[in-house]
Amino acid sequence: MEEHKTVNFMRLLSDDSTHSTVSSDSCEYYQTEIFDLLPSIQASRPEQSRKPSEAYQDGPVPGEESVHGHLSSGPRDKAPTQPLRNMVICIQGKRSARERRKMQISESWRRSQSINRKRVWAQIVGALSGLLPWQHTLHAIEGRFGVGVKAYFVFLRYLVHLNLLHCALICGFILGPTIFYGSSKSSEPLKFGGNDSVLDFFLGSGYLDRSPVFYGFYTRGSLNLQCLNTPLLYLTGILTILFLSLILVVRRTTVGYKHTWMLGKRYSMNMSYKIFCGWDFTIQDPAAAALKRSFIRNDLKLFLEEQSFSRREAQRTLGQRVRLYLLRFFLNLLVLALLGGAFYLIYFATKTSQDEIGHHWLVSLVLEYLPPITISFVNLLLPHIFRKISSFEDYSFTMQVNATLVRSIFLKLASLGIYLFFIFKTTKHQPHPVQCLENLFGREMYKLCIFNFLTAFCNAFFLNYPRKLLHEKYPSSFLARLCGKQHFLVPFNVLDLVYSQTVSWVGVFYCPLLPLIEAVTLMATFYIQKFSVLRCCVAEQRMFRGSSSSVLFHFMLLLGLLMAAATLGFNLYRQEGTHTGAFPGPGNIRGLANSSLRSSCGPFGNGLSVFNVTGVCVDSLPGPAQSTLRYLASSAFALPLILAEILILTSYVSRGRANQKAIERLKDMLVMSSSDKRFLVKQHTTMLRRQRNPCRVRPATIEENQPLTLSHEN
Amino acid sequence: MGTTASQLGKDMLSEYQELTFLTKQEILLAHKRFTELLTKDEKDLPNTRVPMDRILTLPELKSNPFRKRICDVFSTSEYKDGGLTFEDFLDLLSAFSDSATLEIKSHYAFRIFDFDDDGTLDCGDLEKLVNCLTGETDDTRLTPEEMRQLINNILEESDIDKDGTVNLSEFQHVISRSPDFVSSFKIVL
Repeated sequence: MEEHKTVNFMRLLSDDSTHSTVSSDSCEYYQTEIFDLLPSIQASRPEQSRKPSEAYQDGPVPGEESVHGHLSSGPRDKAPTQPLRNMVICIQGKRSARERRKMQISESWRRSQSINRKRVWAQIVGALSGLLPWQHTLHAIEGRFGVGVKAYFVFLRYLVHLNLLHCALICGFILGPTIFYGSSKSSEPLKFGGNDSVLDFFLGSGYLDRSPVFYGFYTRGSLNLQCLNTPLLYLTGILTILFLSLILVVRRTTVGYKHTWMLGKRYSMNMSYKIFCGWDFTIQDPAAAALKRSFIRNDLKLFLEEQSFSRREAQRTLGQRVRLYLLRFFLNLLVLALLGGAFYLIYFATKTSQDEIGHHWLVSLVLEYLPPITISFVNLLLPHIFRKISSFEDYSFTMQVNATLVRSIFLKLASLGIYLFFIFKTTKHQPHPVQCLENLFGREMYKLCIFNFLTAFCNAFFLNYPRKLLHEKYPSSFLARLCGKQHFLVPFNVLDLVYSQTVSWVGVFYCPLLPLIEAVTLMATFYIQKFSVLRCCVAEQRMFRGSSSSVLFHFMLLLGLLMAAATLGFNLYRQEGTHTGAFPGPGNIRGLANSSLRSSCGPFGNGLSVFNVTGVCVDSLPGPAQSTLRYLASSAFALPLILAEILILTSYVSRGRANQKAIERLKDMLVMSSSDKRFLVKQHTTMLRRQRNPCRVRPATIEENQPLTLSHEN
Repeated sequence: MGTTASQLGKDMLSEYQELTFLTKQEILLAHKRFTELLTKDEKDLPNTRVPMDRILTLPELKSNPFRKRICDVFSTSEYKDGGLTFEDFLDLLSAFSDSATLEIKSHYAFRIFDFDDDGTLDCGDLEKLVNCLTGETDDTRLTPEEMRQLINNILEESDIDKDGTVNLSEFQHVISRSPDFVSSFKIVL
């Protein structure tokens, strides 16, 4: 009982982080003689460090010898089938171990076979990982700019892969069938000429309007079964893309989430990782080594600073706290006002760009691009203001970055949403009927995508590069000092990526080749950003936390995807509503809207709608399948679905809790057994000292007997 | 045993292949690089031990802050001078190779970080380790206050049994949860 109490006491002590007493106390304990003889210590003791001590002694001591024999047989007995090279001993040791093993011939053959297999496998894996593009570039960037910037580039590469996957799906589901079973109308030769100009590539009109880039190209072809026709394939393709993206993004988010947040503060190993896994042993260049050192130093300092910040935060007085909350409240109001202003600006720009009548082509080009320009301008400016604002709010650095990110992503997605809303609204009240409304919508998304890329391009070559040149040529000039050194702002660049990916998802239904365009622009962006990072930027003094923020990146991507899905759903639903005439409005306007909204082009032209086509397919199915599908689609199915989800969730949550309890219990046991060990070792040494017996033969025998006698004493 | 320094026998080669994680090409390359380190009259002697300062001229080790520790750990020299024979050198490359297991790598990492060779990472080891990572000079070092806070943090996180030191199994526990340790604990010729 008494022993148990002391254990708890030790545990309390260490929990109260009075480490000084514990460590000074334990300093004594692991420097005692018997500590060296504990089996757990000897298992980890290198072999050669024992040899000299043996040599220094006056001849071999019997007790020591027996310990040695026990030792060298330890690892061998533990795993007799373990390959020799997996043993932590030098080659000479492995050789003698092999002698002792006396392997049978068949066994050795089998082993050599397995070694060969493993080697081939390793080579295959190596070759495959060599195929992953940009590995070398990523490594170079990481070496100079740290994990945060590398996380951005990895994210970029992930998006490229995602878009290439989308391209493959589109080729299979949409492009392929249209080419093979295309109707006679679409087989008209696509010619670049007539009224077309190069400008069309920027506006998405004219030649591009007739090309496979847009929705209007994909008419219902000769493949005309009830459940296998081009419209249905088109729909399946788009839905597959959205679902696949959802699954992939959710997977990435949850994996990251599990790593960072689920394990929580209690099991966080942040600091230990940084110390134990901090050095990259592959570094050869002295400059890179110096850089790595400064990174590690800055990172540690940042972490310690954050920690003392949170300690300071806990010590704030009530008055300070009230003042801070007031300040934050007003700053949030300011943020809201800025957002409101930005939204109004976008509204105004969209409105202006819609009523263009016969201008000079340059003016009309500017007017066409007015909404994207406004959106980009707002998105370029406001995040920087948000960054400044969040620095006044007295948050920790990571929290500052996150607050800026959240505000900016809200701005980005909301501005895109407003823009989409106005496009809906204005296309509804189109004065003269347009041939293909879907193409119009797709064109807007196309323009946004192209414009995003152009901004990135111009930003790199007309803003960053001249700045860098200025800084190099005239480092002392006023302008250069005003600009300061350039840093690669990871959050804002990630925002751009998320935004363009969202645009691609929103537009994919109306502009099926958008993923291809997106993949190409992303690849170009990779090289542009690589140029601007390696040539124009200097490494940040403060590090950006890579792992926890990549969760945030993917979460934002998820938000974008949800927004895209909502837009598509809303669009289809709106069409369906006007199509069936479910809401008989006051004749005139509704009729006009109906006629302009009912699409006359694309796979769902000629009075077909998404719901029609699927309905026809479902009707053609056999009876039981039909009723099953209808049941699945009805609201009666929702209840069992929700119930099942609740059940699964509950089981997972309870399992998680049980595991957590088990972890706690195991930790307690560890603490207990280690304090037992400490206690016994101490007791033993005090006894030894009391006896004043310098004999070195005893420990081996005492080691066996001591615990028993001690426990009797207790 | 019995390697003449100038060439490597076929049976030696296959034996080394069995005992290490290295491929044939890697062993041959290692042999070539190792013989370059030898002086002229040493080349004819079998089992020459190259002293530490000559090993450290290898570009792969030159800018590594743990280079001396690495030599100490892999050296089988009786005088503890960190000199390496060819087989020690192969041991080193094997532990740092691509195909070595996490178990092996973390074990050697632990021994490299255990500066005083006492089988546990105590406060002194951790302080030396952090100094190696941040740089040894006075202006790059952390302040004593920061150092104290840092070491307290490390012990709080990874010293599971609360005995004031990090032992091998605790160390391996930390390492096993780090995704990029295996890829960074690597020296390839």
